[in-house]
Amino acid sequence: MSELSNNEMMNDFRWIMDVVQNVDVGLVLLDKDYNIKLWNSFMQNHSALYAEEIIGKNLFESFPEIDEKWFNRKVESIYLLKNSAFTTWEQRPYLFKFDNYRPITGRAEFMYQNSTFIPIQDLTGEISSICLIVYDVTEQAINNLELEAANNKLEIISQTDGLTGLFNRSAWEDQLEKEFDRLQRYKEDCSLIIFDIDHFKKVNDNHGHPAGDEVIKKAAEITQKCIRKTDIAGRYGGEEYVVLLPHTNVDCAEILAERIRKKIEGLTVQYEDIMINFTVSFGVSSYHDSLKSATAWIDSADKALYESKENGRNRVSIFQHTNT
Amino acid sequence: MAQSSVLNEDQRDCLQEISNVAMGQAGDHLARLLDAFVILSIPHVNILTPTEIAMAVQTIDEHNVSGICQGFIGGGIAGEAMLLFNDTSFVDLAKLMKFEEELNEVGERELLIDSTNILVGALLRGIAEQLDIEFSFGPPAIMGQHQELGKLLMSNNVRWDHTLVIEVNYQIEDYDVQCDLLVVITESSLPRLFGKLEYLLD
Repeated sequence: MSELSNNEMMNDFRWIMDVVQNVDVGLVLLDKDYNIKLWNSFMQNHSALYAEEIIGKNLFESFPEIDEKWFNRKVESIYLLKNSAFTTWEQRPYLFKFDNYRPITGRAEFMYQNSTFIPIQDLTGEISSICLIVYDVTEQAINNLELEAANNKLEIISQTDGLTGLFNRSAWEDQLEKEFDRLQRYKEDCSLIIFDIDHFKKVNDNHGHPAGDEVIKKAAEITQKCIRKTDIAGRYGGEEYVVLLPHTNVDCAEILAERIRKKIEGLTVQYEDIMINFTVSFGVSSYHDSLKSATAWIDSADKALYESKENGRNRVSIFQHTNT
Repeated sequence: MAQSSVLNEDQRDCLQEISNVAMGQAGDHLARLLDAFVILSIPHVNILTPTEIAMAVQTIDEHNVSGICQGFIGGGIAGEAMLLFNDTSFVDLAKLMKFEEELNEVGERELLIDSTNILVGALLRGIAEQLDIEFSFGPPAIMGQHQELGKLLMSNNVRWDHTLVIEVNYQIEDYDVQCDLLVVITESSLPRLFGKLEYLLD
């Protein structure tokens, strides 16, 4: 080989090494025993380890955050199939734990990474080493995570009644439909309570709407305190509430309704200097095979509520299912 | 319809043969990697419209299909491989892949991605070798875990009329693992692919 072409080759090699060093992704070359053979600038800068310090060292000894068993499983297929392997931040947030390096705009604690493992063949065509390409995807990961959090928050807001914090009507009805479908299959106990503030119009007319709102809020608070975590309470209409009680027979539902009724009866709501006492009327209906739909179930509870109203209010009535 | 979208008999036979050979190689590689017997199916080669693809995959299972997509590109030919798993086989899939981490949501995701990478890579490597090209692959992405397939396909704005699809079914003996692999090649890659085929046919 002439001296000139030798020089050219050296030049080419230098350019390639410059590119490898300066490209804005991490490049690591590993031999079959996972000893590090290449550690480019990106890796040096983020790990604060110079190539001289790390080259020749074992990957797992130098970076205990990498799970050896997991890594081996990834690499095994590379040697056998000669294909690449991948890991994304959604599976593992990072391969190498690098701290966030931007004090002002950096929003993550560490660098989120996507990594690609590619096989490197030697001159005989055998795979002699593996190249790791490490991408910094912190920005994308944070944006995705924030979007997900925002969507979750929106979903909660869209299901909640603003005044009381209970489920709103449509979200509660969704829950009821689901429970109804489940009950048709599994035939378990489940009860439904519907209740309504007695003479609520008078509260509004006599003391104004803000006072009325306070009454609605307090009734919801008491309901929330009386029920279990698995019970599902919703605001069904203006002054109308519903509670779905899974795994609860009619007797237990009646006891709960009575408890809420007594608590509300004994409560005085204070709004500015106005003292308001009020009562509620209940209708209870348990799940029964004869119910054709979730709507029919609500109707049956509503009938019992109507009975309570007819019989003088501030009481609990049970809907009696007739076996047909 | 563009002229190149029409697949003539010779081209179809040629692609079929390439796919058969690739599938055989894939089966062999996978058997060695997984220590399991891969039941080989005959690949189907077809020119399909987006709606036809939607219909083809909908017959597999109406519910509980996990779909993972992996893009590939090289030698002027590009496309996306879509793997459709039945959700019921996660435990068996983990056993097959010697996946020992916990099978929670994150674990399932990683398992799906690793399996896809291997199954897709095994087949496409064989196809690329015969066409004398090399594909580079993007990371696999999960399309809609625990989501209905119809929504999965409809949620995408499809920007093409016809495309070439190679459909393969993977089954592993003694494991409840069954999946369909659809290799969808972009419309714009077809002239280049057919050019390669002409070369092989001559």
